[in-house]
Amino acid sequence: MKKKKMIISQETMDVDFVRKVEALSGTSVRRCFQCGKCSAGCPMATFMEHPPNRVVRLLQLGQWRRIIEGRSIWFCASCETCSTRCPNKVHLASIMDALRKLSWDADGPSKESYVQLANKLFLQNIRTYGRQYELRLATVFNVKSGQFLKDMMLGPKLLSKGKLKMFHSKNKNLSEIEKIFSRIEEMRKKGEAL
Amino acid sequence: MNSKLNYAYYPGCSLHASAGEYDLSTRELFKELSIGLTEVPDWFCCGATPAHNVDELLSLSLCAKNLELAEQVEGDLAVACAACFSRLKFTQHTLEENATKRKQVEKAIDAPVKLDGKVKHLLEILARDLGLERLAAAVKKPLSGLKVACYYGCLLTRPPDVPNLDCVEAPTIMEDVLKAVGAETVAWTHRMECCGANFTLSRPGVVIQLTNAILDSAKAAGADCVMVGCPLCHGNLDIRQKEIEGVYSTSYNLPVFYITQLVGLACGLTADKLGLGALIVNPMPLLKEKQLL
Repeated sequence: MKKKKMIISQETMDVDFVRKVEALSGTSVRRCFQCGKCSAGCPMATFMEHPPNRVVRLLQLGQWRRIIEGRSIWFCASCETCSTRCPNKVHLASIMDALRKLSWDADGPSKESYVQLANKLFLQNIRTYGRQYELRLATVFNVKSGQFLKDMMLGPKLLSKGKLKMFHSKNKNLSEIEKIFSRIEEMRKKGEAL
Repeated sequence: MNSKLNYAYYPGCSLHASAGEYDLSTRELFKELSIGLTEVPDWFCCGATPAHNVDELLSLSLCAKNLELAEQVEGDLAVACAACFSRLKFTQHTLEENATKRKQVEKAIDAPVKLDGKVKHLLEILARDLGLERLAAAVKKPLSGLKVACYYGCLLTRPPDVPNLDCVEAPTIMEDVLKAVGAETVAWTHRMECCGANFTLSRPGVVIQLTNAILDSAKAAGADCVMVGCPLCHGNLDIRQKEIEGVYSTSYNLPVFYITQLVGLACGLTADKLGLGALIVNPMPLLKEKQLL
């Protein structure tokens, strides 16, 4: 990615967005003093264009667009190492959750589509079946991402070991899960929840 | 034993599918140890990583609903999967601390949130509720000579103050359990490094790179096998092992066991009852060599 010059001014700093992140994550970005311990322990930092400490720095400067246009937040594995080691108790793993949520709501301008697709299908499965249906998850992912042959060699082996089930039974109390999904949608429409 | 231990059981989605052997060996081991286990009726998916990744309120609500369902069954809630365990504990912790989120969740599940029920990982039940002494007394065939790399992964211990299973950076609970059943444990570097978790679906290349480092470290420490308490870690280490060997032109041949499989083996359960045949890296040659089968 080409480096775009960053201009820090009242026009480019979006503090409202940062407040939303802080409300959702229940943690303050202002506590960070950039020691870099989060990035040092992050197993995924090598895959990110902005390592974790820089994500926090960009938030402090109100430059959130740079974050959600990139793929860093989608390459976080939620391993919680950063939150564990932060000397200032910045819960970075929760900040990553909040950023993904807000990016997701904005329909993800990020180029990282595979992780988003996997998440979307996972949640759809819960709504439809109540529980995860692994075979369907993997198959639909391959079809929708256009990688028809991905992990093809694993399929027969897993089926023969009983690790993939062809059919999946739905929960009896499925209507309750649908209610949870729709109540949350309703609350968001009314502005009662972020 | 004065009183019988009884638990409500939340297997989680993986244990009903790709980690069927974890479910089987858990049930068989608990039966052998006379610990009661009753599955929570009609439990839902906890939402796992994808839910909290993009929608924390949904994740909290799904877990709160499961905690409510678990109330129907007497006893603390026993959880086998590290990710379900983490999410349920996280929900209890968050809703305890944050009144706004609690109100939102109560609205979403249309019921008051109940947070007093205890959520326990199988490791805690074996090491603390049953206790290492009683566990050692149940051993029929000590796992002597078997060198095991205990792999904690991410979610059993992190972040601090949430799972409260053991020390967040230097836990010993897995080693304690294995020593009680006569196995040897190795000291190694990658026991708490991330395996790449659910990137196995979206970005398998990431998993291959991270998991290779874990297998490499276990092998270098002289381990015969790896032990895990998480179906996703298991999938990455076991199912993808052959692929990793191919990519890095190396050979690990490290069988990956669930906690309940190794403890069950020591308690005299047969390979069938432990679902050892479902493992992708064949553990039989190793177990025969160590005269454990």
